[in-house]
Amino acid sequence: MEKARCLLAAPMLAALAGCVQVAAPDKPIEINLNINIRQEVLLRLQQDAKELIEQNEDIF
Amino acid sequence: MSRRMKLILALGIGLAAVTGGAAYAFVQGGDEASQLRATGQVGEQWDGYLGIVGSASAELRARVDAINIRRRAVYTERAAARQATIEAMAVSAGCELLSSRVGPGQYYRLPDGSWHQRQGNGPVQLPSNCPS
Repeated sequence: MEKARCLLAAPMLAALAGCVQVAAPDKPIEINLNINIRQEVLLRLQQDAKELIEQNEDIF
Repeated sequence: MSRRMKLILALGIGLAAVTGGAAYAFVQGGDEASQLRATGQVGEQWDGYLGIVGSASAELRARVDAINIRRRAVYTERAAARQATIEAMAVSAGCELLSSRVGPGQYYRLPDGSWHQRQGNGPVQLPSNCPS
């Protein structure tokens, strides 16, 4: 019985170790929220952009 | 120099100035941005401004700058009206310019700084944040 418990514990420990391991990345983590914010802003300004380009053909 | 010769000289200079000015206005007039793009030395950038592909003469640089200054004025005015930043308005125009103003064989620039040449009538890559 004691032996069986040990046999069960061994793979469980191995699995736990696999879960807990965290490796720090060598590059800094960069989360660019700008991209998502901008996408909404750009969508809102899309019609204005089209108008500007059509109304100022000499510079566009 | 006689008085008459001075008069003729003055008239000549005046005439040259007028015709020269008219010729200059003709070149400047019309769609200067598309003329510049057609040279292959100038391309549209993702940020809403014209850029120079490679190196350019001071004269070409001045023409590009002149257009970009006027673009910025237009972006500034519309950005204020829409309570947006000038940059956002310019980038928004950049999305439209890349998708509608880059002709076959012409150059455009993406946010990573790389220049690309549009292959024939093929598609132009747009920055990922452009509305589709």
